[in-house]
Amino acid sequence: MKKYTLIISEKPDAANRIATALDDKGRNTRKNSNGVPFFVAKNGDKEIIVASALGHLYTVMSNTKKGKWDYPVFNYQWAPRWMAEKGVLKIRTWIEVLSKLAENAEEFIDACDYDIEGSIIGYSVLKYACNGKEKTAKRMKYSTLTREELRESFTNLLPHLDFALIEAGLTRHEVDWLYGINLSRALTLAAKNSNNMYATLSTGRVQGPTLKYIETREKNIQIFVPTPFWNITAKISIDDHTFELEHEKKVIETKAKANAIIAACKTKEGQINKIDTKEFQQSPPVPFDLGTLQSEAYRLFRYPPIHTSKIAQHLYINALISYPRTSSQKLPSTIGYSTILKKLSRSTLYQKLTQKLLAQPTLKPNEGSKFDPAHPAIYPTGNLPEKVLDTSAKNIYDLIVRRFLAVFSEPALKQRVKISVDIKWNLFFMMGYRTLKEGWMECYRPYVHYEDILLPLLFEGQKVAVKKVNLKDKFSKPPSRYNPQSLLKKMEKEEIGTKATRASTIQTLYERKYVEGEQNMTITDLGFEVADVLKNYCPSVVSSEMTRKLEEKMEQIQLKQETKQKVLADTIENLKTVTEVLKQKQSDIGVQLGQKIKQLRLNEQIIGKCPKCQTGKLVIIRSKKTRKRFIGCTNFFEGKCNTSFPLPQTGKIKPLTKPCKTCGYPIIKILITPKHPWKICLNLDCSTREEK
Amino acid sequence: MSCKICSQPIKEEGYCIVHLKAYQNICKKFEAWKKALEVSWIDYLVNISKNSLTGEWAKEVAKYLIEDESRNVKER
Ligand SMILES: [Zn+2]
Repeated sequence: MKKYTLIISEKPDAANRIATALDDKGRNTRKNSNGVPFFVAKNGDKEIIVASALGHLYTVMSNTKKGKWDYPVFNYQWAPRWMAEKGVLKIRTWIEVLSKLAENAEEFIDACDYDIEGSIIGYSVLKYACNGKEKTAKRMKYSTLTREELRESFTNLLPHLDFALIEAGLTRHEVDWLYGINLSRALTLAAKNSNNMYATLSTGRVQGPTLKYIETREKNIQIFVPTPFWNITAKISIDDHTFELEHEKKVIETKAKANAIIAACKTKEGQINKIDTKEFQQSPPVPFDLGTLQSEAYRLFRYPPIHTSKIAQHLYINALISYPRTSSQKLPSTIGYSTILKKLSRSTLYQKLTQKLLAQPTLKPNEGSKFDPAHPAIYPTGNLPEKVLDTSAKNIYDLIVRRFLAVFSEPALKQRVKISVDIKWNLFFMMGYRTLKEGWMECYRPYVHYEDILLPLLFEGQKVAVKKVNLKDKFSKPPSRYNPQSLLKKMEKEEIGTKATRASTIQTLYERKYVEGEQNMTITDLGFEVADVLKNYCPSVVSSEMTRKLEEKMEQIQLKQETKQKVLADTIENLKTVTEVLKQKQSDIGVQLGQKIKQLRLNEQIIGKCPKCQTGKLVIIRSKKTRKRFIGCTNFFEGKCNTSFPLPQTGKIKPLTKPCKTCGYPIIKILITPKHPWKICLNLDCSTREEK
Repeated sequence: MSCKICSQPIKEEGYCIVHLKAYQNICKKFEAWKKALEVSWIDYLVNISKNSLTGEWAKEVAKYLIEDESRNVKER
């Protein structure tokens, strides 16, 4: 059999792209073995097979004997994911196919994403599935999946994997695993042993501090006491136009002072004291790193960060944009500014703008300060979508293109006019704005919105008519709750987690029922208790400081100034102390968590308000005598209400939030077979029941 | 012994940790209210207990303090 080059990518769709790009005729042969796809291409006289991982195929796993579910756990190994997790048996076949393909390969190339996670994926496939080929494999480095860049990267292969980066990544996985498993087991076992309540509780090195941010914010909201203040506005009229002016003191702290100003301003006439005109430039925005793209997408379309990163990944796989998981705000000239602009000109949407930019004497991006050694900022490749994109993808693509155009544009030029009006020795202000030159804003429309506030022609000393002077009662406001986007920003600022994992950490908080509410993240009672337990019994784990220190260590490993062994030894040392405390306090912790889990379970069982007594809640009850289930009112236990409804004895029951449109009784959904859910109104006399 | 307001253990001054923080904040903010509106302690408490911006724990403490105050008046 002829020998070939085996290229490993991160996911099948990337493998497909790479094979097509490397093939001299621009096409590949898709093959599959046991349902695992791989792609064959011809490059010169070389035969190439591009196969892929499926994200992480290997993970950290405890190697203590099965059946003993306890903590502390300090012994572990890297193992195929199917051995460590349920429901991923597909991975077993996947690894077998990769091993088979490796047998006849003479050269190995890692073409996974060029960042920590991608490097680990490639490394572990080469090491474990390809029988120790990580030492001899070469590395493809690229930031876009365009044909040109992939071919270029294939001709200029890096001689070996980036072992320092891999070392740092392995350390992060192992440290996170150690914290995660020990702390999560401590919480889960505490709840189980003292209440016999089983609930998956989890926490970890990043999740812990993140939950703490939400908890601290909630506490500040709950203890908040507003303080009063006042502000004063004046309505004046000039040439039949009315304008509202603000008193020079934006915050007046006492009612007495505010009243004194109002009394002093009792007059019909004021005078323009000063006109101050100033021109200023507004610089173009900086290129997108993943964080800024996520905030902008949230601001404009209200997409949660995890959604934006998925869409961006999809656009990247389709070679429409460069690698999105970057923290860079730089665009090196090697990406070929004018080539991209010329390619974008083929779209009627961007043609006018790109031509204007191409006519500029030079192209210089307004770069930001953030830098990422692995990738540039996010930019469009210049390729236009081959298929119609769905709304989300279209929005994100257009946003990235327009941002790219704006980055190369000239600053906007604005004029600000500040008018001060004297009303009985009290100064009031109003502002006017005029755009003199639109600059980058033309490219970034509709994502930048501005309105000019035009003022009539005025002169200093001019008399104006005072219509009314108003006193407004105000109060200081409590801090606002986090939303997924602002929480992500906070994590970025505190440097906890990585750009690849932050969004999913936030998702886990929802899944564990520690937080609820999409726009206003509110901590649940259970979340409060978990945060409290962590703070009381292992404060070091939830401190941002420890997380940051560990991030520093990780960076030092990348720079070869620190070793994985040392960092892991320190981690285990710290965890020994922490788990000892948790063991000692296990029953206290159990009681604390158990109550909240019980409450949570009860809330989950509530079908709705009792339609008869109006104060009790309807819950699913199982009769002690007959073991049959039915719905009853919680007031029954106090002898106050005997409302009950029969239930079918099989099928999962889910309460629906909206009551019956006909009679207002609660509606439930019964899932006897998952494909055919059955909705019924609880009211036996309801007309919707007869229709059935 | 448990908190005057909820069933949590006492931290200081008869309050649990969260109600203590709320109580301390109420005491701290009174200075600003006194200056701003020349209100009495009790009027201040009534005001903040009705204000929609006041946090729930602070409201619970304010209501408790109002009741406490009226009990004291009766006892006298
Ligand atoms: Zn309390």
